[in-house]
Amino acid sequence: MAQGNLGIEPEMLKAIYGQMARIRAVDKAIQAGLSSGKFTFTYWPMTGQECIPATVSQLTTERDYMVTTYRGIHDQVAKGVDLYGMFAEALGREGGLNKGKGGSPHISDPSSGSMVTSAVVGAGPVIANGLAISAKQRGEDRVTIVNFGDGATSIGPVHEAMNLAATWKLPVIFMCQNNQWGEYTPIPEYTASPNFFGRAEALGFRGVQLDGNDPAAFYKGMKEVIDSVRAGNGPVFVEALTYRMGPHAGVGDNYNATKDALAAAKERTPIEKTRALLIDAGISSEDELNAVEAAAKAEVDDAVARALASPVTPASETTVDVFADDTCVPKRGVYPVREAEAELTGETKTMTMAGAIVDAQDVAMAANAEVFLLGEDVGDPHGGTFGTNKGLQTKYGPLRVRNTPISESAIIGAAIGSSIAGMNPIAEIMFCDFMGVCLDQIANHAAKQRYMSGSATHAPMTIRMQVGGAIGGFGAQHSQSLEAWLTHVPGIKVLYPSNPIDAKGMLLSAVNDPDPVVVLESIMLLFTQKAEVPTGDYRIPLGVAKVCREGSDVTLISYGWELHNCLAAAEELAKDGINAEVIDLRSLVPIDYYRVLESVKKTKRAVVVHAAVEFCGLGAEICSTINEELWGQLKAPAIRLGADYAPIAYSREIEMSQVPNTDAIVARVRASMKS
Amino acid sequence: MATELTIPKLEMSMTEGTLAEWMFESGDHVNEGDVIYILETDKTAREIESPATGIITVTVADGETYPCGTVIGEIA
Repeated sequence: MAQGNLGIEPEMLKAIYGQMARIRAVDKAIQAGLSSGKFTFTYWPMTGQECIPATVSQLTTERDYMVTTYRGIHDQVAKGVDLYGMFAEALGREGGLNKGKGGSPHISDPSSGSMVTSAVVGAGPVIANGLAISAKQRGEDRVTIVNFGDGATSIGPVHEAMNLAATWKLPVIFMCQNNQWGEYTPIPEYTASPNFFGRAEALGFRGVQLDGNDPAAFYKGMKEVIDSVRAGNGPVFVEALTYRMGPHAGVGDNYNATKDALAAAKERTPIEKTRALLIDAGISSEDELNAVEAAAKAEVDDAVARALASPVTPASETTVDVFADDTCVPKRGVYPVREAEAELTGETKTMTMAGAIVDAQDVAMAANAEVFLLGEDVGDPHGGTFGTNKGLQTKYGPLRVRNTPISESAIIGAAIGSSIAGMNPIAEIMFCDFMGVCLDQIANHAAKQRYMSGSATHAPMTIRMQVGGAIGGFGAQHSQSLEAWLTHVPGIKVLYPSNPIDAKGMLLSAVNDPDPVVVLESIMLLFTQKAEVPTGDYRIPLGVAKVCREGSDVTLISYGWELHNCLAAAEELAKDGINAEVIDLRSLVPIDYYRVLESVKKTKRAVVVHAAVEFCGLGAEICSTINEELWGQLKAPAIRLGADYAPIAYSREIEMSQVPNTDAIVARVRASMKS
Repeated sequence: MATELTIPKLEMSMTEGTLAEWMFESGDHVNEGDVIYILETDKTAREIESPATGIITVTVADGETYPCGTVIGEIA
């Protein structure tokens, strides 16, 4: 074939082949290492898909962001991730890109633009949107490319991501590497609609189908797509046709495929085809290509040898990188003393809790252009279903107060991605009950990004969630107290203010915190609580409990709206001569065990009260710590009081009795006093 | 330095493998990339390539099933 008929510059074809050769060398080294038993890690082979990232690498730089999946080693190699760091990471070594804490399915390497790698199918696209938001908001010309397989098109968040990206015209490319297999299941067993690129059109943006095994055609198509996205024309969905030659996981051939299908696919594998083309067209000689392949192998051999020499990441690293500050990690027997906020002295203004939340966000947004809000109905005139953002969109505009589709995964993913890029988003999830539809993003991504990346990246974002309960009539799906779902996941801080002053001071600390923070806001308190709230940038340190009522006979430990029931119960108990101390935890993670234990050392009795279901609730954790630490000093074992084990009922009578009320707290304390 | 040969873990679910057939005997010279034995799992049979060049020593019999990680020989 004459060079002029190639449809691509010869030098470009050689460059693409050079990247393919590097990917092949890495693939072979991994398969050989696993086969011989030299390596023991799980591998999800990308054999056959090399052309896609090899081509994209010629059209992007390290400034462009990439998100990929566990089957993304080819993407990493072509993106320019350091091979030594990558192999050391796959082997769980100290020298790994992410200190051996994430492994190959969680590589994060901002220096090359490989920002996030997820092992949850279809989780990446919502995060990619956030990276793209940061680029667009900052006026940068970066594009974000998110890689995923055809199998991922079946999961909800991919749909959410596509819809949001189209709505906001984000500079993101949805790179669907259609390798014909969703894990072990082939098309069309898992979908009746295999024209994946057509789904983009259904959502109002452009989709294209390209041959991902043909470098010339793919280069031409991708150049036009990347130029268009970079120019600000909105997202594009690229369906890159290819074939997965290997199994879902492990090494060797794709044993689920028929022999005929595999043989046909082998005829189209891009490396062999491109190599033959380079020789046939007279662009490269056999010797030149051998030299390219030998250089790739030498680079990989050197990386593997050095990676194997790197020490295995030691157990002493266990809690490092959970949070920016290791003292926030709850540890048995270690109870740090954190300094409380100063006494209020400055100017104040009367605010409801809702008003205090608006004020805190106003202060944060005025101080830092990288703070923005997103959520359902957060814009004016509503300013959120409960008015917690009222006036902010009018003041800061629709790009800093972003109304979203009803898409909780897309909301949290966008917050994660933009925060990884360094912004400080505040995402509102109206009703914590809806956490279930975005819990993967919160628990598997926001909470773990710092740890899985060995602090190479982190997600300094805030999530505000409204919590029903104590109002009546909201029913089982709008009234739950689900803080234990969050406190059980390492890596996320959880706050639960009980009054306007704390709501403001803690929210401002959350927005400025280097870690992801969830702030739970009781709907019941939003408008029933009023206080003189400090104006300006007022912050309350996280992990500092507060004694709200001093006492000597028993310590009541609570948070959120149950704190007010505890204060009322304390007044009732006082009539019997029982002098209760009441502690507002305020911050559930980090937790202030120091102040809790100091109080119980004095009173020698403790009752933990929360609106959440008692069984497996936070109260069990706190009681256990008190009983273990103060055994022998207590007059009675620490006990807990939470909601009955039942969904919250619609019947007002049931709801008001199933969740601890003042009478129930008084009765529980009296039981404690008897022992 | 000798390179240890162990029964590899080729699949997430793999716990053991059958060493169906050695292609070399102790004392033979093998080159990196040579097929040195056939490994059978519940999913597939696979030719296992030598990770190194040198003299192979075979320490277990073929035709038997071994847990992943079992040392089966070395190349020195």
